[in-house]
Amino acid sequence: MEIKIMKNILDRNQNKADEVRKLLELKKVLMVNVISSPGAGKTTLLERTCEELGEKFRLGIVEGDITTDRDAQRLKKYNIPIVVINTEGGCHLDSHSISKVLGYFDLDKLDVLFVENVGNLICPSQFDLGETFKLALVSTTEGDDKPDKYPMLFREAKAVLLNKIDLVPYTNFNYNNFRSDLKKINANIPLFEVSCTRGDGLKEWFDWITEKINNFQ
Amino acid sequence: MHEIKIAEDLSAIVLETAKRESLSKVTRVNIIFGQLVQIVPEIFEYAFRETVRDTIANDADVFIEIVPVKMKCIKCGNDFLVKENRFKCNVCFSTDLDIISGKELFIKSIEGE
Ligand SMILES: Nc1nc2c(ncn2[C@@H]2O[C@H](COP(=O)(O)OP(=O)(O)O)[C@@H](O)[C@H]2O)c(=O)[nH]1
Ligand SMILES: [Mg+2]
Ligand SMILES: [Zn+2]
Repeated sequence: MEIKIMKNILDRNQNKADEVRKLLELKKVLMVNVISSPGAGKTTLLERTCEELGEKFRLGIVEGDITTDRDAQRLKKYNIPIVVINTEGGCHLDSHSISKVLGYFDLDKLDVLFVENVGNLICPSQFDLGETFKLALVSTTEGDDKPDKYPMLFREAKAVLLNKIDLVPYTNFNYNNFRSDLKKINANIPLFEVSCTRGDGLKEWFDWITEKINNFQ
Repeated sequence: MHEIKIAEDLSAIVLETAKRESLSKVTRVNIIFGQLVQIVPEIFEYAFRETVRDTIANDADVFIEIVPVKMKCIKCGNDFLVKENRFKCNVCFSTDLDIISGKELFIKSIEGE
């Protein structure tokens, strides 16, 4: 006997994500789901972003970390609410864990919530957290083939940051390949080419995210 | 490695459905994955086996259908398969597209007795 089911296997995650999204819309909190490989520079980007926008907006951070709270320790100095989710080996965050930690924030006193997802380019793209949008971060030292290898993330993301452009002279990273592959996958996606340590290109990112936060209010 | 979490959620759906339908044994699970979700079938099947061990779905065959990435052009209505990650209408060259298939993580049906 065959029993038809025809439903999304991740239904449970999706339903919770829809709930989170509704709540955050009501509370006017923009949520950014930051996705990258390990070491691409997510925490460093958040450090720079806290320094630049910490006075202008009420920021909050969720740190997805496999076992430690080291990234949260780095961000403590900015005096903004941070909650760590340890995934205990899990390769991505899900909407249930996000929904749980939202209880630790005063959502009425928040303009934007950055979520540093667990370092990985495939898994986090499948799990909707209820974010306003995903941000894809890649670094030049990973090579220029990431968009072509992981098209889902670059289709789904609202913007791409290419980090560590200061290191391009030491790699075989080819800007033209990277830009044309990305354009092929997602023609109109904004691309910010930055160095989170040296500061190059960050102004464009700050301007863009400022506009997104303002529009969400 | 997202295969593991997806396999866990799948096995929960399979076992729930089997229980509701009073099956004593699940013999086959039919799944549809879109190409974009980059599931490795071997890893997925292995993970699924682990999650249904010693249940009535212990011996179920897993049948995975991978569906290609297909888009619809919003401008001219053309449907086309995406090849080599080229997300662009092959008739009018517009990049305003809706997805038709390619992102599925679906359970289609289960079979049992
Ligand atoms: N040269 C260079 N190093 C960077 C840049 N951004 C981050 N890093 C370094 O890369 C390493 C990993 O960064 P981190 O922010 O921890 O990455 P995460 O794992 O994605 O959070 C750290 O040693 C950073 O200092 C950059 O733009 N240029
Ligand atoms: Mg980090
Ligand atoms: Zn067209």
